[in-house]
Amino acid sequence: MRLEVNDLRKSYGPVAVLKGVDLAVEAGRVLAFLGANGAGKSTLLNCVSGAQEADSGDILVGDASLRGLGPRQVQDEGVAIIYQHFQVFEGLSVAENIFLGHEIRSSGCVDRRAQNAQARALLERLGVDDIDPRADLGSLGVGERKVVEIARALRLKPKFLILDEPTASLSDKEAKALHEVIRQAVANDGIGVIYVTHFLDEIPKIADDVTILRDGRILWTRPVGDVSIADMTDAISPDALVAGLEKIPFQADGPEVLRLEGLETSFVGPIDVALHPGEVLGIYGLMGAGRTELLECLSGAAPQSGGSMVFQGETRNFASPRAALDQGIALVASDRKEQSLFSSFAAVENLLVPHLGRAPLPRMLRNFSREGIEFERAARRLNIQPPNPRLQGQRFSGGNAQKIMVGRWLVDGAGLKLLLLDEPTQGVDIGARHELYEALADVKRKGSTIIVASSDATEICHLADKVMVLGRGRQVALIDNPHDEELLIELAHKAEHGTEEGVEGGAPQMEVVQ
Amino acid sequence: MTDTGLTRGAPGGRAKGDKQDRDWFELAVAAALPMAIALLALFFYIKAPVFMTANNWIAISVQVSALMTISIPFALLLMAGKIDLSVGSTLALCGVVAGLSFEPLGITGAVLLTLVVGTVVGLINGVMVSAVGMSPIIVTLGTLTLIRGLAQWLAPNPIFGFPEEFLVIGYERVFGLPILTWIMLVVICLGVGVMALLPIGPQIVALGVNQRAAFLVGLRVKAIGIGLYAATGFFVAVAALMSISRINSAPAGTLGIGVELSVLTAVLLGGIPFTGGKGSVLRVVLGVWLLGMLANGLILMNVPTELSLMTTGLVLIVAAGLDVLRARRS
Repeated sequence: MRLEVNDLRKSYGPVAVLKGVDLAVEAGRVLAFLGANGAGKSTLLNCVSGAQEADSGDILVGDASLRGLGPRQVQDEGVAIIYQHFQVFEGLSVAENIFLGHEIRSSGCVDRRAQNAQARALLERLGVDDIDPRADLGSLGVGERKVVEIARALRLKPKFLILDEPTASLSDKEAKALHEVIRQAVANDGIGVIYVTHFLDEIPKIADDVTILRDGRILWTRPVGDVSIADMTDAISPDALVAGLEKIPFQADGPEVLRLEGLETSFVGPIDVALHPGEVLGIYGLMGAGRTELLECLSGAAPQSGGSMVFQGETRNFASPRAALDQGIALVASDRKEQSLFSSFAAVENLLVPHLGRAPLPRMLRNFSREGIEFERAARRLNIQPPNPRLQGQRFSGGNAQKIMVGRWLVDGAGLKLLLLDEPTQGVDIGARHELYEALADVKRKGSTIIVASSDATEICHLADKVMVLGRGRQVALIDNPHDEELLIELAHKAEHGTEEGVEGGAPQMEVVQ
Repeated sequence: MTDTGLTRGAPGGRAKGDKQDRDWFELAVAAALPMAIALLALFFYIKAPVFMTANNWIAISVQVSALMTISIPFALLLMAGKIDLSVGSTLALCGVVAGLSFEPLGITGAVLLTLVVGTVVGLINGVMVSAVGMSPIIVTLGTLTLIRGLAQWLAPNPIFGFPEEFLVIGYERVFGLPILTWIMLVVICLGVGVMALLPIGPQIVALGVNQRAAFLVGLRVKAIGIGLYAATGFFVAVAALMSISRINSAPAGTLGIGVELSVLTAVLLGGIPFTGGKGSVLRVVLGVWLLGMLANGLILMNVPTELSLMTTGLVLIVAAGLDVLRARRS
């Protein structure tokens, strides 16, 4: 039995995301599936799981084609997918989560006892005996929740299991336990696994084969024994990213734009850093390291609980994003759909919504032709496709929507002094990514300071003059851009898992090299 | 709209066909409300020819004037994802306040006080919802009961016999139209103007589409929310003055009872989803008008009130069904 993808193609408007993908997983094997952000991984997963329909090509399980099937039918064909974002529910017990939607009934009522017993059996089969099926899910750690999700998926006896970055928010210990669980599932039931991850060092521990997706095509597939971590890094990060933003000089001797001294929020801190006009600070850290919290504090969206923030010579403690915006600080939040895009708004309104009623747009009556001109300018500058001001925000591809989100703050006369970006290229294809980088280069040239937070070390090394590494909310390093992704990844991992190994406070504290 | 086929990806025949199909469908849904009004008017005309006279249409406009005056700001509130269930009780409170203060304060003083009271009630709702962050439904459900009680406590017995100079608002005509109709038209123009021409228009809708994004992008989410509630309170006070000038009494127990439901019905008929995030003031005007016409026509046809109530409910359900259909298609 094998899961086969044959010449799968998918485009969003003019942007081709999958350009003919061929892929095969055998039952009983684990295929590590790698690719940079925007290489097309999530599109491929969505096509396989039935969440999206491919333009052409075929997906086969054994002899049955999955083309045109919805998520539920794909599940019935024996393909289960576990997404990166948790889909378990607090307030329900572990067993209730596992049997959600497929409850065991006896004479019409849910048979809790049978569910608990079966859940226990399922978990034991996975080699897990320390999760009580009756416990509330809320009392479980993230690693255990992932295990519950896997148990739920396996309950339907799938032939293939797709895991999308299952260890993204897990500690080393939890990740190790999860690998064990997956190994058990493969050994017991002979299922085939597609394992998507960004962490290269876990691949030898879990996978049998490695596949690299780059720019919508499979670059190569090899047995895990034949590849080194360096091979994979080279294969994932495209050469085009070599020329970085740090080639553009900034005014190192200019006045300080931002100085943070012992800045703290409820979770993050103390943070110390000073930035100059045109300087780019990259913030690197794993999920949950405090990147978003720090940016939200700087943008006025989250309160500051200690230390000080001096912006342009004045101590500030912004009460709202509006207050920060009035001083020229803007945030492009992560999670576009939830936090920055107005899905039903026309593109022009999405672009200009922060500026309506304030400079450079008229205060009182709207000037529609002026708004149109601003959109046209942004569309040209960022190559927004299609350049249609009336098209709804939700109808743009991820990359083009993100261009609009960033374009908001590039409007001339908006008085941008400090641009904060949180995961600016999440779900953005390679082409759009370069256009975004170009736009940021422009911002830098004009002397605005940029802080960009990312979980993509390659992106940080490409953009930053200076890199701050966060781990568990603490600043563990502030260094000149090392152009060494592995160093950043290592620092972040050590910081995140350091205390578990009893190295309390022993994270490497690097000196600023000015 | 040159590129709605974007999300479908595939260039070529199918996507194009889908697009035309969808445009046609959108048009049909968009035309449903005006069509319903036209057909209904025709139906009533056939059944009771007196329906189609200028005087009857003016009578309808007077009948819906207070409802319209509340529905417009209410529509903006709903577009922003908020709701105010206390409008009926606030109407009663404002009516009572006006009725009680004509003697001590004179007409101008009473009118001003009434407008202040309405606005303050709105402000209180707004602060609890937008500044404190309480649930709009629960807060205004609370004020609904609380304010009704307050009104009855202030005036246990119906107040009647208002100054003649005030009552002219209720029956006098200016330039051929009743003053009440003129007030309604002004409120409509205000609503349309704010949404179409002022920068605040899209900001209000932005709140309903994605409040988190609106906050992060630097909109004054609290101020906009409080302002919308205050505006709703103000126009409820206006509507209260319009109502009591027509009936020449302010019964605290019955004035404005159930108005929140009529307003909600009208606004939902006008195509604003319960979750907010979109909508057009003009369609809300049509929604109110449809309700008014329905009530008027059924009375002309001597249909008993029970039946007219049932019809109104049915119309709302049909409208909601249309909305689901539209959501499914897109």
